[in-house]
Amino acid sequence: MEIQELIKSSPLRVFEESIDGGLGRGNLGVLVSRHGVGKTACLVHLATDKLLRGEQVIHVSFSGNVEHVINWYKEVFNEISEEKGMNNSSKVYSDILANRVVMNFSQETVSIDKVLNSLETLIKHGSFKADTILFDGYKLTKANVGDVRKIKAFAKKLNVEVWFSVSPIRKDVVYNEYGIPDTIDPYTEVVDIMIGLRMDEQLNKVVMTLVKEHDKKMTKLMGVCLDPKTMLISM
Amino acid sequence: MSDLSNMRNIGISAHIDSGKTTLTERILYYCNRIHAIHEVRGKDGVGATMDSMELEKERGITIASAATNVTWKDKEINIIDTPGHVDFTIEVERSLRVLDGAILILDSVSGVQSQSITVDRQMKRYNVPRIAFVNKCDRAGANPYRVKDQLVNKLGLNAVMMQTPIGLEDKIEGVIDLIDMQAIYFDAGDDMIHPRYAEIPAELLAEAEEKREELLDAVSLVDDDLMEAMLEEAVTKEILVNAIRKATIALKLCPVFIGSAYKNKGIPPLLDAVNAYLPCPTDVENKALDLDNDEEEITLPSRDDLPPVVLGFKLEDGQYGQLTYIRVYQGVIKKGDELFNTRSRKKFKVGRLIKMHSNEMEDLTEVGCGEIAALFGVDCASGDTFCDPSLNYSMSSMFVPNTVISLSIEPVDKTASGNMAKALNRFTKEDPTFRTYVDPESNQTIIQGMGELHLEVYVERMKREYKAEVVVGQPEVAYREAISQKAEFNYTHKKQTGGSGQFARVAGYIEPIEHEEGEENPKDYEFIDKIKGGSIPTEYIPSCDKGFKMAMEKGTQIGFPVVNVRAVIVDGAWHPVDSSDMAFQTASLNAFREAYEKAKPVILEPIMKVEVTGPTEFQGNIFGSINQRRGIIVSSQEEGVSTVVIADVPLSEMFGYSTALRSMSQGKAEFTMELSKYGKVPQSVSTELKEKYQKQRAEANKK
Repeated sequence: MEIQELIKSSPLRVFEESIDGGLGRGNLGVLVSRHGVGKTACLVHLATDKLLRGEQVIHVSFSGNVEHVINWYKEVFNEISEEKGMNNSSKVYSDILANRVVMNFSQETVSIDKVLNSLETLIKHGSFKADTILFDGYKLTKANVGDVRKIKAFAKKLNVEVWFSVSPIRKDVVYNEYGIPDTIDPYTEVVDIMIGLRMDEQLNKVVMTLVKEHDKKMTKLMGVCLDPKTMLISM
Repeated sequence: MSDLSNMRNIGISAHIDSGKTTLTERILYYCNRIHAIHEVRGKDGVGATMDSMELEKERGITIASAATNVTWKDKEINIIDTPGHVDFTIEVERSLRVLDGAILILDSVSGVQSQSITVDRQMKRYNVPRIAFVNKCDRAGANPYRVKDQLVNKLGLNAVMMQTPIGLEDKIEGVIDLIDMQAIYFDAGDDMIHPRYAEIPAELLAEAEEKREELLDAVSLVDDDLMEAMLEEAVTKEILVNAIRKATIALKLCPVFIGSAYKNKGIPPLLDAVNAYLPCPTDVENKALDLDNDEEEITLPSRDDLPPVVLGFKLEDGQYGQLTYIRVYQGVIKKGDELFNTRSRKKFKVGRLIKMHSNEMEDLTEVGCGEIAALFGVDCASGDTFCDPSLNYSMSSMFVPNTVISLSIEPVDKTASGNMAKALNRFTKEDPTFRTYVDPESNQTIIQGMGELHLEVYVERMKREYKAEVVVGQPEVAYREAISQKAEFNYTHKKQTGGSGQFARVAGYIEPIEHEEGEENPKDYEFIDKIKGGSIPTEYIPSCDKGFKMAMEKGTQIGFPVVNVRAVIVDGAWHPVDSSDMAFQTASLNAFREAYEKAKPVILEPIMKVEVTGPTEFQGNIFGSINQRRGIIVSSQEEGVSTVVIADVPLSEMFGYSTALRSMSQGKAEFTMELSKYGKVPQSVSTELKEKYQKQRAEANKK
């Protein structure tokens, strides 16, 4: 299958439709769930879709393991290319790699100001015109609303889309029926799009629920979910 | 040496600057071989003992590996000090070939770096069991547990802590041994650096117990005896040590030790571990190829009573004359014995035999099985096998990587010219990744190697050791050509010039060979014969193969070798009188060229994986410098004040990078690089290269 066709038929189109055409530049989108539901895979799938469309992506990880992130990209790409029978896949892959940078920070020792500073340095000095920035595994327990506001201001200033994945690590967190933890409440106001992920045992799928879309709060079931086997966004 | 269980042949390898030379120095000190400790960059100008070459002293890096013999407790240990710079990996590879085990040194702060990954891959290739030593635990930011996790995550090793620290950074006092569950401080003896054993401090007991549990769990998973003992709650030290030893030798476990060579912390327990956990010569299986029997693999039992098989793994032309470092795999060699070099097919007599103790040597009358020693005055190349004349074995050939860079050199005068020839002759024998030839077009002497520093070192050695002053040209990258699509050929070669003529027709196609990522020794060329019905007689098939190979030696784009081509012949024609080997070679050569143009040829260049480490404040400069060099930033990792940036950068853009990096970071950033892959050059560069090639050819034609 040719790339253009592959992009058109991607479940990510349904994902975008479900959030009214996409997140949009200067905005903050958040995926929340319990630990281990598949947010990283989901972010990587979002990123890969953008990369295939020729956009540039910075993947900011706080896990301390760059190789781990790079392997996720490899696996997600292989899944997509196999499933869709992509033409010339090894060349496509090496082409998109030029448009992706993985940055890893230790959240303990590097402040959010420094993180944003490094991102700006990469975009300016490294001439990397990022369209989307992903924050993977950012711990809100070690951050505050002010930090998230700074990230949002950064997204506006550099005119980029910013996606987050958040999973609380504290044990006393209470999750609601959509997989949204109570600890996220203070941040809801800053965020433009918020999606909850929850494993539905009966469907054997990770169900995605849109709980906030720009100024509106809601609980709308998205048209897509996560396939627990491939961890990819699917119909 | 009759009891081989008391012998260890080990190497020490790691990333540049993680402290190999310092560690080796300390080991020698503890083993009482030398009496003063000098730094690599010693203020006293004496320099560490293993860096015997003057140049190494000046640069503070270790280039040549010297074999050194020491004794620790009841065991004899041969240590090979290996170079840390990636340009010299062939030296690392060669020493790995003769080692039975190794210490992998890691920096407690930087942890597993890109070169540690390279070295580890080499160790896996030669099945070298290893123990890890997390060095520099006195540095600010030291975290041995993080390094252990990296060994697991990045190298896929089953790494397990054998010790826990007593204090870290500037508070490092000693280690806790998790086998004997005791504290070890290093403040005993006259020099206050020898071990003192004590009870574990109460505040560290819980941590130590937890780590011991982890150790037991990890080892029991790979050892049934220990598992059983644990279930019966009858774990003894002997069972545990045995289990660790077995698992380490089987490459199922990587015990992790900690310390600081510089501060004299942790060396004696590390030496104890070498004795306890690394294999002796009989624990590992060594193989040779029988050249008389179609290169059949033969296991060499480490026995003294068999005819000798010896590998010459390293040549050195130093202050004592020509030395060949050898390892005896089987049998014993004595002074005066006759040996047979199975590559050069020449016999020679064993002259002076010595064992090197760093800068001093000991004369021997015989060298036994498993031992490492050196021979004087033997004419050979490194990697040669010497056998008893009744045998015709070759130790399996060593993996030699392709060179990536070349440099033209020109002697300044006649004396220099003669000396240069001598030096080149020596260097090419010593180092298979250093090559030289005379370019027939420019008549210049070209040297080829693994990187800028690699060649620089040889140019300097020429000057110092051989008084050969040379003018050095611009470094040139080893480009490759390749095809990007399938193309057919159908070529008839016909010549009638009186007498018997030449006739041959070949038809078929060429297509690119797709390589899987991470493939070991990928094929550059494949020839497939699909001829049916004898349209080309069998005797001429090899001629076609030869013709294609000839065509691939020099591509038509910029005159560099063509790679990754599968040539398939499906049809042809011949003539009973006019066809010949030559005719089919010529036909195939021209058929290739005909198809080559149609197959959309491209130019490939070596792309280096570059790892830059420096303070975060210079991050912008580092990003900028990579961007300017057509580099692609793969990742950046920030921790505290330092940043590690990994990027793919074309080698042609990396010339002079060390100077540039130094000046943009006030000398605080450093980098290493290694070949990552060959990548297509961008259109603009490709056009430039082609124009340059055309111009060169036009000039050559004028002459």
